[in-house]
Amino acid sequence: MRDRLFITTMLLPSMVLLVLFYGYPIFDNLRISFTDLSLLGMKKGGNWVGLANYRELFHSGEFNHILFNTFIWLTATSVVLRLLFGLGIALLLNTRAMRVLRLAAVSRFALLIPWATPPIVAVVIWRFLLERNGFVNDALIGLGLISQPIAFLADIRTVWPSIVLIMLWNTVPLIALSLLSSLQTVPEEYYEAAELDGATSWQTFRFVTLPFLMPAILVLGLMSVFWSFNNFVYVWLATGAGPGTFTNVLATEVYLKAFVDFRLGYSSAIGMVMAVVMGAFGILYLRLVAQRQLEETL
Amino acid sequence: MAATGSRHWRDPGAWRLIVILLFAVVTLFVLVYPAIYVLVGSFRPGGGLLSSTETLTFRNYLRIFQAGFGRFIFNSLVICVVATVVSTALSIMAAYAFSRFEFRFKRTLFMAILFGQVFPWIVLINPLFVAFATLNLINSYVGMILTYTAFTIPFSVYMLVGYLVTVPKSLDEAAIIDGASRWQVIWMIICPVMLPGFVATATYAFLLCWTEYLFALAFLTQTELKTLPLGLYQYFGDDYVDWGAVMAASVVTTLPVFLLFLPIQGRISPGRVAGAVK
Repeated sequence: MRDRLFITTMLLPSMVLLVLFYGYPIFDNLRISFTDLSLLGMKKGGNWVGLANYRELFHSGEFNHILFNTFIWLTATSVVLRLLFGLGIALLLNTRAMRVLRLAAVSRFALLIPWATPPIVAVVIWRFLLERNGFVNDALIGLGLISQPIAFLADIRTVWPSIVLIMLWNTVPLIALSLLSSLQTVPEEYYEAAELDGATSWQTFRFVTLPFLMPAILVLGLMSVFWSFNNFVYVWLATGAGPGTFTNVLATEVYLKAFVDFRLGYSSAIGMVMAVVMGAFGILYLRLVAQRQLEETL
Repeated sequence: MAATGSRHWRDPGAWRLIVILLFAVVTLFVLVYPAIYVLVGSFRPGGGLLSSTETLTFRNYLRIFQAGFGRFIFNSLVICVVATVVSTALSIMAAYAFSRFEFRFKRTLFMAILFGQVFPWIVLINPLFVAFATLNLINSYVGMILTYTAFTIPFSVYMLVGYLVTVPKSLDEAAIIDGASRWQVIWMIICPVMLPGFVATATYAFLLCWTEYLFALAFLTQTELKTLPLGLYQYFGDDYVDWGAVMAASVVTTLPVFLLFLPIQGRISPGRVAGAVK
């Protein structure tokens, strides 16, 4: 009985905060999404409009463009490339040559720099390098690859690859370091056996290394989906969803509709779309990550 | 990339070695050079753009502090330090209960906390803004502190439970038999033993707050209350960017992050951090 009181006391403060800051808002967001609440008329409240916001959403051509940007560029492209580059760097650091040359330790340290750099600063760094007369243009002109400087973040042909580049620079190190630590758990005998069987290096990678890494790749990939899909800062700070609304994604659209167009109701409807998509991924997260974290921790 | 099997590299052919070295050098360059470029740029007039002068100067730093950048640092410090202390204290309490007792809904509650780590924060902006407007918490330290406390709790609890389960329960029980209360156990036995873990958790929570942008953007509109990340981006005008100021402000923002992050990064295994990167 005394234990019960103690447990409640210990858990209550944090649980109350979590309910107030996660539980209540998500339901209130649903309610707001059925109203025409305006940021300028919060005192008088919004009128109930039923599904009007959702209808408008799915009938607007702009929304399809936003979905495409969010799913294809912000999420799929960045997640796949992040895993590929992360795997590449992990494999590179794990080669004997790198260890013999003592470059592995140096590279590990080098990975910490972009990893520790806050996203807000990573965007600053790359906006500077990608300027019209910035380092990247100078280098490309110097190498004779282009003759005219490119406005990377203002040209619709280069803006998405540039945003993805910024995200990759900032987040690949975490993937690389995680995969490197998984790589180091592959037992040496497996490689010896593969060598005895006369496996080529590709076969060794495909049938020994990759199966070992697969669980880590799956989890990191899934977590990447969450950070990318919900991410606001990279797009917002790199381009402000521009040029025009060319790089607008769901997260920036939620902000723009609420705080620039003052349409809280409509913005909340977009938020609900995001919540539903993430809910679907949440089930995967539950199966693949949370369940395991729970078993491992408790 | 070719094989990983370290055995294959026992006698790496010269060409293989060259390819590897080439990859390594390019990778190192791309990883490190951008950060160094900005660090050096912060000591150059105009951030190094459009100016061939090689003279290094503290002018950018002087300029931003004369223009009131110190205020942003102060705001960030107040909000982040208080939020970190409160969040860590509450998280230690919750984590202790999770690691020591069996109770109803324990697994459900812990699962909910794990979900907090992947929650789509952007969805909370509108309802929280409406609630904060009613409660007069827009443009207030209290509002930001509460937000950041709630924002860091899921990750902190998860990390702390991981640390606390490594402390044997018998330690607590022995102390309780000797007449200590549960609170004394936490304060006098668990805290000293787990101090490094607590410090790592608190540091990470602090860093999350220090670099948070979205909530600050939505909930802080008065210049004198704005935090560091907002202050950093004020130098980006619509058609003019004060690069010198931006570089200096970036270095000021990032320096504490590096100093705090490097010592704890070994304790924060990538797998654990995975949930907290936003």
